[in-house]
Parts: sequence; structure tokens; C-alpha cells
Amino acid sequence: MTNAQLDTPVLILGGGVAGLAAAVDLARRGVAATLIEREPRLGGRASQFCCKATEACARCGACRLGELLAQAAQLPQITIYTAALAVAAQPQNDGWQVDLAPQPGGEIGPGAGRPLRERTTLNTQAVILAVGGGAFNPAGKTRFGHGRVQGVFSALELEAMLSQGALGPDGLAPAKVAFIQCVGSRDASLGRLWCSRVCCGYALRMGRVIRKLLPDSEVTFFHMDVQDYGRAWEDELPLMRHQMRFVRAMPGEVTAGDGGPQVTYALAGEQAQKEGFDLVVLSVGLGPPNGASALGELFGAAKDDDGFLTADGGPAGVFVAGAAAGPRSLNESIVHAGLAASAAAVRVASLTEARHG
Amino acid sequence: MAKLSLLWVDTPGLEDLDPALVAKAAGMALDQGGLLEAAVVTTSQEQAPAAVRQRLMGLPVAWLELAAEVGGGPEAHRLARAAVAVSRAAGRAAKGTLPPVYAPQPAQSVLVAGAGYSALAAAWEAAAMGHPVTLATPFDSVDQAGADDDPEAVSLLAAQLPAQVDLAPNSELTRLTGAAGGFNAWLSTNGDAPQTYGAVFLAPSGELVVGCEVDGLDPALCRPVSGLNPEDFAGPEDGWLHVAVLAGTAEAVPSYSFSAAMQAALALAERPKVQVSLLFSEARVAAPGGEKLFRDCREAGVLAVRVGPGKLEVRQGGRELAWADPLLGEELELAPAAIVLAEQATAARPAWLDNDLLVKPWDELVPDNPRLAGGRTSRTGLFITGALRGTSPGEARRDEAASAAAAMHQALTGKVVPMPAVRDNFCASCLTCVRTCPHGVPRYTVDHIQCAPAGCVACGACAAECPAEAIAPPSWGNPEMFSSLEWGLALAPEPKMVLFACAASGMPAVTSLSAQGHQWPAGLVIYPLVCAARMSQLLLLRALEMGAQRVLVAGCHPGNCRSITGNHKAMAKIASLSGELAALGLPTDALEFLPLASNQTRELASAVRAMAQKAGEE
Ligand SMILES: Cc1cc2nc3c(=O)[nH]c(=O)nc-3n(C[C@H](O)[C@H](O)[C@H](O)COP(=O)(O)OP(=O)(O)OC[C@H]3O[C@@H](n4cnc5c(N)ncnc54)[C@H](O)[C@@H]3O)c2cc1C
Ligand code: SF4
Ligand code: SF4
Ligand code: SF4
Ligand code: SF4
Repeated sequence: MTNAQLDTPVLILGGGVAGLAAAVDLARRGVAATLIEREPRLGGRASQFCCKATEACARCGACRLGELLAQAAQLPQITIYTAALAVAAQPQNDGWQVDLAPQPGGEIGPGAGRPLRERTTLNTQAVILAVGGGAFNPAGKTRFGHGRVQGVFSALELEAMLSQGALGPDGLAPAKVAFIQCVGSRDASLGRLWCSRVCCGYALRMGRVIRKLLPDSEVTFFHMDVQDYGRAWEDELPLMRHQMRFVRAMPGEVTAGDGGPQVTYALAGEQAQKEGFDLVVLSVGLGPPNGASALGELFGAAKDDDGFLTADGGPAGVFVAGAAAGPRSLNESIVHAGLAASAAAVRVASLTEARHG
Repeated sequence: MAKLSLLWVDTPGLEDLDPALVAKAAGMALDQGGLLEAAVVTTSQEQAPAAVRQRLMGLPVAWLELAAEVGGGPEAHRLARAAVAVSRAAGRAAKGTLPPVYAPQPAQSVLVAGAGYSALAAAWEAAAMGHPVTLATPFDSVDQAGADDDPEAVSLLAAQLPAQVDLAPNSELTRLTGAAGGFNAWLSTNGDAPQTYGAVFLAPSGELVVGCEVDGLDPALCRPVSGLNPEDFAGPEDGWLHVAVLAGTAEAVPSYSFSAAMQAALALAERPKVQVSLLFSEARVAAPGGEKLFRDCREAGVLAVRVGPGKLEVRQGGRELAWADPLLGEELELAPAAIVLAEQATAARPAWLDNDLLVKPWDELVPDNPRLAGGRTSRTGLFITGALRGTSPGEARRDEAASAAAAMHQALTGKVVPMPAVRDNFCASCLTCVRTCPHGVPRYTVDHIQCAPAGCVACGACAAECPAEAIAPPSWGNPEMFSSLEWGLALAPEPKMVLFACAASGMPAVTSLSAQGHQWPAGLVIYPLVCAARMSQLLLLRALEMGAQRVLVAGCHPGNCRSITGNHKAMAKIASLSGELAALGLPTDALEFLPLASNQTRELASAVRAMAQKAGEE
């Protein structure tokens, strides 16, 4: 059986904010692109995120996904396939030949994108890897009790709970909530020697949302340092210090107590103490993409010391956008995709010029 | 004006609707396969069959995801909503057949005013897309970097600038008017004569300043990170030279600044007999490589000292530092031989930005609004990047320039851009639109209002505020809106309600709820808006007058409006009108604003449910 054939100037892998932004920016530059998403649905992580606005927008960027999806659906230069996986790739004269295989679960939803139906061979001049970063699996930090101690959730689970209304006046109403920061980041014992950039921001914002939904609740923020997070952040921090309890200590463990999870921690120069909470949230960090090595094999993509993908030193015509290239917020990923789109557009233009004389 | 037809493409969710009935209710002819002139199509362009797209090539068309806009519910109500959606889209298609729309010329010229990495990156990007570029730099050559840029990266980029970049050295932008497609720019080297540009990048070079450190330090001991030469430091044979690096002791510094301070500390620690203390309130290690640098510092013997913000004490005429150490439970003192201070990048805001030529105050021109990330400003076609915007030095500035350039190219070469229509004979020259337009589009020239070619986003703020109904973007004037609202409300059963939904927040939430098969209340008329800015007291009153018992306006959260203050404007109008409702014998909560993000479908559904319940009880 022969594969269906497709030609596209640029192939984008990944339909999260970075992949979508790359496609939109290419279209704005007048360059057509084909985007493939492995999952049945577009959106990547942001599709699970809640809005973190309280009195005003918290600039978390989650709703920019909706904006990008709407733009992508309107721009005729963009073709999107969901439930599509690149299974083979070969460099050829002017770029790459990539084999795509349909994945289970693809269904036609509203807006941009339709599932890939048949095995397809695609010829492209440039590839943008926008496959996102892997969120740290909290099971890798057993002492924090995720999956073992009731009432311990990862921040990803909290995002989904908040966006579905499962936490708040109509759902779970914890009186005492703790966030434990840097779970799977800044951690030599795990060999993860980087700050994930986004978790201080999302945790404090979700903490503030919880305080708004449940005004009588108390939110504790166990942390080493609070990172910077955009222009207005420094003005908001002093207020947040009033709304929530900031404890500068990294807890040693989380165990099951009588009424809920118990957090063991020691303040500087003091004895370790135990404190009970109703809900403990593990602020998991971002790491290299889960399939980084597979992509490395497919496209020969280069990796940096920490395992994130990089365009530097990689094969010609392969670019990287978004959290796949290192920890990045949604807004940063969207802006970062602008450079990958620029580089891909320049390559397509120069190849076209070379071909025509 | 071309004849409008309804072209019905069957999509899931429309099976039970009779196309002929919808067309009739919307006052249009159903396409019977004849020659089309202009059309409303019941599906999105993306999902239309190729044959349909082929047939409509080059015609004025309004694509409509009808199934999503109609949603669930009894057939009669679905029919009513379909008719409203189609007649509204008809307005769009009809306007497509008429001027004024702007058909841009390719490759319009771009002005980049500034110097350093951001300016060069913008010039490079614009030139790569084929635009003629003028790079106006205050220096006598382009490879001069700001103090906050890496000189090597700057000269590398300067060497790569394509030939079509026209260099204007020793030249500064002194005044700017207009919007995308039609800026007038005055350059100091051009005397009084303005030049016209399609788009403008403002990227002045940055300088490094010390901020966020304690006051009262002895200036003789202090030096900024950038002025440091580690070679100058070496301790005595029989002792130690103590150096303190202050990196955000009064208030935390941004992570790029903290990284530079750590680099300085590391370089000093590698000098013989030098003992370095790094003092800070937060270790800002979020810049790439920051955490590793932090560990390298400690391995090299740098003492990392966390002091609460503002808790560092200065004594002995600024020569001694003191702080409480929580681990030891005692106070520590340090009399360093030198104090190195972290710096942050800033750029002076050009004075002309603050005069009334750009109409908007700085906070409205460059708000910290996620929709204006990537160098954008509220003034379409004007991009402010780099140090002036507060973007971190380094690669983030390159990303920003690339992202901005794509938006710039689209504004200058996009196919069709809405242009507000101005009826000169109605205009009272009150300049309300000039003041109101968040994007700086209408301008007063000689004796009439003229609109900049590619700046309008059709937010409708001008149409909402103009006292003379003299200006409106295509399909957003009072007559069109009143008539489609009337249609909808006439067809809706009691209790009638209107949901005005902003295209950035309310409408995407409506669409995803509808796609999930959400059942809207029977009497609900959903009226999409580009922006809540289009709400006027007149429109709200007309909705009530036409029989709506409740009106809900779903717009963006404060700080998230693409047109900056469209949501605030709608909120203010609703608040002031609500005060008058009692006098009219109407419930005081008949009008409501719901701040929403596009992903808050649950919140929208429950607000509509609550509204329907209240309306039903009356
Ligand atoms: C708990 C948590 C909370 C967060 N909260 C925030 C926040 O509030 N604000 C914020 O700015 N950031 C937040 N972030 C960071 C945010 O998730 C990232 O910035 C963002 O997801 C990066 O976007 P992306 O498009 O690069 O990657 P993703 O969103 O991860 O998207 C990548 C896409 O690529 C697809 N994909 C993967 N491999 C392949 C392949 N081989 N072929 C095709 N497709 C593939 C994936 O299915 C996915 O759809 C948070 C992160 C975490 C872990
Ligand atoms: S940016 Fe985040 S907080 Fe702001 S409106 Fe969007 S989802 Fe809500
Ligand atoms: S952003 Fe905050 S929580 Fe996340 S790794 Fe960095 S310091 Fe830790
Ligand atoms: S607001 Fe209306 S009347 Fe006033 S200047 Fe503008 S167009 Fe003319
Ligand atoms: S519709 Fe909005 S952007 Fe367009 S001219 Fe009117 S106020 Fe300005």
C-alpha cells in the first residue's frame, strides 16, 4: 500500500500554544504550514488550565490558547491534523521526508483541525519541534506522598480541579491548603538542576484563586525563593504576602495524618515540626519533552545539557519552539515560537529562491 | 451592492433545521446553485468542502460556524437563533462588497528607531520579509550596543543586516502620528519634514542602573556589576579580602540581573584570597542556567546570604553591613573592601511619547496585558520592544522582535482589514472617536475625520461613543445592530434575554459550550461582539425596549482586553445605567457584566442559568 503524499513548506510537531503560535506567525508571514498533534485534541497543557483571574486578569496566559485556536482556524495557510504521529523521517535535498501515522481516538471537533485518517508521507523544507516539556511526575518524589497520601495533589490536578469547579463553594472546600514548591526542580538528588520558571507564578495565582473562592481558607506557600514573573508581578507580590502565608522552608515529607496530610518541615535554625492540612499541592516543574530521545532519533535533533531540545548544533532545517526548548510560560512560549517561525520562513524563502534561479 | 445568498452546507448539529426557513427568517435568498455574488456560508472556511471553497473564490463571503452559534434546545428556538446568526453574518458579507476596506500594498516601508540588539533584530526581521527599512540610530554606527546588550551579539547581527536596510545614523525620532499603514515620523536629521512609514518599531538602547539595593552605602566602596574588573581584586598573603555582592537586598531583582551578579561573584571568588558574600532577599535563579550558576558560586566558596527584603543594615558610614542570621540565631557583620551592586536594564522613555500625539497614556499604550505580548502596543503598527518595554536582555529580545515582525507583516500585507466608515455630513467634529479609539485609528485632518489604513480591529468603541452615529466599523453601526437585535428578540420566546459576547472571551466560551451540546434557555439571543467596547447605553436600552428582560455582557477580565479598556467601558455604562433602571420600573439587576476568560465555560453557563432563573420568576 502506498502512502498518501503531501507537500508543505513547514511541518510543525505539537499543537500546544507554541506549535499553534508558530503556525499563526508563519501564516502572518505568508508561509503555509502543516501542524500535526499526537493527541486527539489540540491545545497541549493549556487546555487543562484554569483562569487565574481574581479582581483582574492574572496574566497567566491560559486563555491565549482560545485566541490561537480561533486564529488558526481562520487562516487558510494552516492545515492541522490531530491524532497524527511522525514515525519516520529522512533528510532529503531540500528538507525532510516525514511519514505520519494516524493515532487512535481522532474525532472531528469544532474549530481547527481534523484527525489524520491514513498513513501519509509528507515532504517539507523545515520542521519545527513544538512538542512541549514534560511535567515532573510527582511519583518520582515518593516522600511527598502523591498517590499514597489522601489529599495530596499535583498542581496539574489542581489546575483541572479549579477549571472544572471541583474545588470551591460547590466542591471540595479545604480550610487549610499547602503548596510545596520546586517539586522536581532545583533538585540535585534528582539531577534536575534548573528552575522551572513557571511554578512560583502558577502556584501563587492558584493560591489567590482559592482564597477568593473560599475566603475563610488559609493558604501556605512552602518555598525556597519566589521567582520573577512578568512586569506587574513585583507590585502584586507584597499583596500576596498578605493574602497567603509564605514559609521559607522545603518540607521533608508528607504523611497521612488524622484529618488529612501532614507536612514535616523545619524553619531555619529550628526543630522540625509537623503541621496538618486539608489539601497539599505539589508544584511540579517542567522538564525535557518525554519523547526527546525519540525525536532525537527521528530528526537528529540536538539536546542541551539538561536534555531539552535545541536548534543549535542540530541538523539544518530543524527548529524548536516553546517549552520543548527549556522551561517557559505560556506567554513566553508563544513569543518564543515567533523566532522559530522566522527562521523557518527565512529558510523556505531562500530554498525557493535557490530553486527558481 | 452584490446580491446576498445563503449557502447551506450541512454539518452535524444542523440536521433538523430547514435551510429555506432560516433563509426566509433572515430575509435572504437560499442559494439554488446559480451564479453567486456574495454569500453567507453555514460552516467555517476550514471545514467547508473544497468544491464550496472553489466556488466562492474571490467573492465577499461570511463564514459562519452555524451549528456552534445555534447550540441545542427546541427546534423553534434553534431556528430563531440561526436566523439571527445568519442575518448578522449577512451584514459582514454585505460590507465585504463595499468599500471601505483597506487593500494593502506589499512591502511598505518600516521605521526602526533605536539601537542595540532589539533594534537590529527588528530591522533584520522586517528586511527579511522584503520591507524597505530605515534604521534610525542615535549613534554614528549601527553596531553600537546599549550597556545592557552583549556587544558581540550586536556586532554579529549588525554584520548580517541586508542591504535594503537604509541607515540613518545620528538620528532620533522626535514625533510620531498615525497608525499602521500610515505613520508620519519626524526624524531629527530630516528637519521639519515627516516621512511616511507603514509600521514603526521603537527600540531605544538600554542602560544599566543600580536599583533595589539598600541606601546609605559608602559610594567609595561601591561599583556596579558591569563596571567590575575581577583582575583588580586580590587578597593579602596572610588574610582575606572581603567583597560583598548585593543582588536585590531591598527588593528582589529580576533573574537576568541576579544571574549577572552571580557571574560577578563567581569571577571574584576565583581570585586569590578573595572571600565573596552574595547577599539577596530572593535567589532569582529562573534565567537559563541560573540554578547551576548558584551552585557553582557556592562550590567556589561564595557565601550565599539570604536577608529579608530591607533587613540589611548599613553602619559605619556605609562601610559595614549587618544582618540577622536565622541559622546561627545571631547577628553577623561584614566590613567589605568593596561592594558590588546588581543592575537592571532600563531605557528612557522619549519625551514625545508623553505628549498628546499618541493620545494614550503609557499604561494604555504598553499595558502588561497578555494579548499585547511580543512587542505589541495598543497602537496598531507601533511596536515597542527591548529595554523600554522591560524585556530581559538577551534572547528574549530576539524572540520578541520576531513575534512582533510577523504581526507587523500581517498588518501591512493582510488581505482585507476593516476600515471604519465615517459619514462626514453627520460628523460634529467633537473628536470623541479620536480620544476613544484604543488603537489610535481615527485622526482629525484639516476638516474631517480620517482613518489610518490598517489599524482598525473593529472593536466598535468609536461607534459606541460617537454622539452623531457618524463612525462605525463595517457591520457595527447602530442601524445594523438594532435591526439584527430586533430580529432575534422578535423570534425569541418569553422570557427574552440577550447575551452580548465578546469575541475574545464570551464568544469562544459560547462556541465550546454549544459544541458540547449545551442547552441554552429558549429565549436567549446570543449576540457576538468583537469587543465589549461596542456596548452603548443606547444599545442596552434598545435591548430592554425590544422586550429583553435581562441583558448579560460577557467580556474579558480587567487587564485582558485586547482593546485595553473595552471591558471597563462596558462595565461603567452598565453601572451607570443600572442606577436609572428603578426609575423606569425595571429590575435594577436587569443589566450585568460578566468578566470571563475563553476557558471559563462553566462560569458562563451558570451566569446564563442564573439570569434565566431570575427572568423566569418575574
Ligand atoms: C502544573 C503546571 C501549571 C502551569 N501553569 C502555567 C500557567 O499558569 N501559566 C503559564 O504561562 N504556564 C504554565 N505552565 C507552563 C505551560 O504548561 C507551558 O508554558 C506550555 O504548556 C508550553 O507550551 P508548549 O506548546 O511548548 O507545550 P505543550 O502545551 O506541552 O504542548 C505540546 C503539544 O505537543 C504534543 N506533542 C508531543 N509530542 C508530540 C509529537 N511527537 N508529535 C506531535 N505532537 C506532539 C502534545 O500532545 C501537546 O499537545 C504550567 C505548567 C505546569 C506543569
Ligand atoms: S490570562 Fe489567565 S487570568 Fe487572565 S483572563 Fe486569561 S486565563 Fe484568566
Ligand atoms: S519557579 Fe519557583 S517553584 Fe518553580 S522551580 Fe523555580 S523557584 Fe521552584
Ligand atoms: S465621535 Fe463622531 S461626531 Fe465626533 S468626531 Fe468622531 S465621527 Fe465625528
Ligand atoms: S472600531 Fe475600534 S479600532 Fe476601529 S476605529 Fe473604531 S474604536 Fe478604533
